[in-house]
Amino acid sequence: MRVLIQLRPSPDVVAAVADPGRTAAAADVADGLPGVLLDPSFAPVAVPRPVPPAGGDPLSLNQPLRFSLAAEDASVLVRGEISDDEAAVRLALLPALRPDVVGVFADPVIESNLTCGGDAPVGDWHDVARLLAVEDLAGEGLDGAGVALAVLDTGINAAHVARHLGREFTLDAARSWNPAGVTGKAGEFEVDHGTMCAFDTLIAAPKATLLDLPVLLSRRPGGSAIDGLLSDAVAAFAHLRTVLETQPEESRALVISNSWGSFSPRWDFPVGSPGNYSDNPAHPFNLIVASLDAAGADVLFAAGNCGRDCRDGRCAFPDRPIVGANSHPRVLSVGGVDTGGERVGYSSQGPGRLEGRKPDLCAYTHFSGSKAFGDDQPDSGTSAACPVAAGLVAAVRTQWPASRLSPAQLRTLLRRTADDRSTVGFDHDYGYGVVDPRGILAALRRRSRA
Amino acid sequence: MRMVTVRLAAGATLAQAMEELGLPEEEVDTGYGLVAIDPAQGLYGLRVTEAGARRMDPEAGGGPYSDPPIEPYGPPR
Repeated sequence: MRVLIQLRPSPDVVAAVADPGRTAAAADVADGLPGVLLDPSFAPVAVPRPVPPAGGDPLSLNQPLRFSLAAEDASVLVRGEISDDEAAVRLALLPALRPDVVGVFADPVIESNLTCGGDAPVGDWHDVARLLAVEDLAGEGLDGAGVALAVLDTGINAAHVARHLGREFTLDAARSWNPAGVTGKAGEFEVDHGTMCAFDTLIAAPKATLLDLPVLLSRRPGGSAIDGLLSDAVAAFAHLRTVLETQPEESRALVISNSWGSFSPRWDFPVGSPGNYSDNPAHPFNLIVASLDAAGADVLFAAGNCGRDCRDGRCAFPDRPIVGANSHPRVLSVGGVDTGGERVGYSSQGPGRLEGRKPDLCAYTHFSGSKAFGDDQPDSGTSAACPVAAGLVAAVRTQWPASRLSPAQLRTLLRRTADDRSTVGFDHDYGYGVVDPRGILAALRRRSRA
Repeated sequence: MRMVTVRLAAGATLAQAMEELGLPEEEVDTGYGLVAIDPAQGLYGLRVTEAGARRMDPEAGGGPYSDPPIEPYGPPR
């Protein structure tokens, strides 16, 4: 077992440990402790002594105390390990064998509590706006003006979005699109998941023009009562290519936000089958995603909510849950962090199935925002992280159309400037890190000068 | 229903796709129609019944491909 051992060595040793200008090793303090394997990587720590007031109880901590780091008062902590088999004996014998040992304490593993589904919101959308440096972006003219931002989801309720944003925004009904059989009007769908996504895109790109594509409302033959089919997304992407091609080539800017995916291999062909979707770049949907990227669109997908720490109960892939287009090499796969910058426990981890290095990066989620699911419910899931990142991409596109910065170049820029959350660069929890708008701005300035 | 693909000239129609694949109207999702997947490559997609997918001319088309349900990623349940 790992233990912390408190010792009271000679005053000169205590003074050396307490002096930040000097370096003391564990062996200087506690060499030769019987049965203890000292941890040389743990620098000894001076612990102040609680000193009671004159006439106070020398054993009580429930009184006003002064804390002394004087050499004759303080003690020192070192870290070590005792064999589990003889822990009880060692704990009893150590103070008896070594009078300088004043205590042996457990050193349990400590872990942060990751945010999970059902947890209360962590911060609100104003915090997200601050973290995304929205004022700095707007100061450089990056507010999404003139940029088309397509939300493929359950449809948008524009009145709800405007009410909770506290302002109006632009939704282009003419360039929006319904799957066959869906009869609602763009911007007039029931408040649901798509409304949340729309709200979240507008945090970083307040002047973007939203396109409403309610693909998840489709009820095609072969579908169920609760979801659309991948073929509806194929048709939606085909529509978006026509949107892109009507834009002048020199100013093309279309961002496509996708907070959905396939939870289960049950409806898919087996991996290795030519008709498979999850692992097959030749599936028609994966082909049309690649063709939209080649035509100049930025495609973003949520990484999914199948993180190992608290996965969504619908997750049925036994491993590698970032599947199909959500793991496509030509999209940005977006994982989720809370406003404290910690990965939310449900954010899917890589490797991805089409491309191993997934997710690409993380953006903010689990904050109080659209209130689409109730006043006390967060905008959550990688479903929220994806449109937050899509808004940031749309903000960049205000001044940097695809003719000036291709989708591939923009993905590279976002990965390269992300705030790395590990010591090894890319990792399968955070990807290349958390989106860093100030890093993006600096990189764009350098690119402008070049 | 399954997805299948077919290679046709630019501006192709669903009727041309059905003729190319040798499929009657009752085996095709006409409401879905013919979708341009990669027009630069002349690649189009359509939805057909499983029986139709089995019977179509394999030289003329690609697939069948899976058409799984898709669901929103949130809120986490």
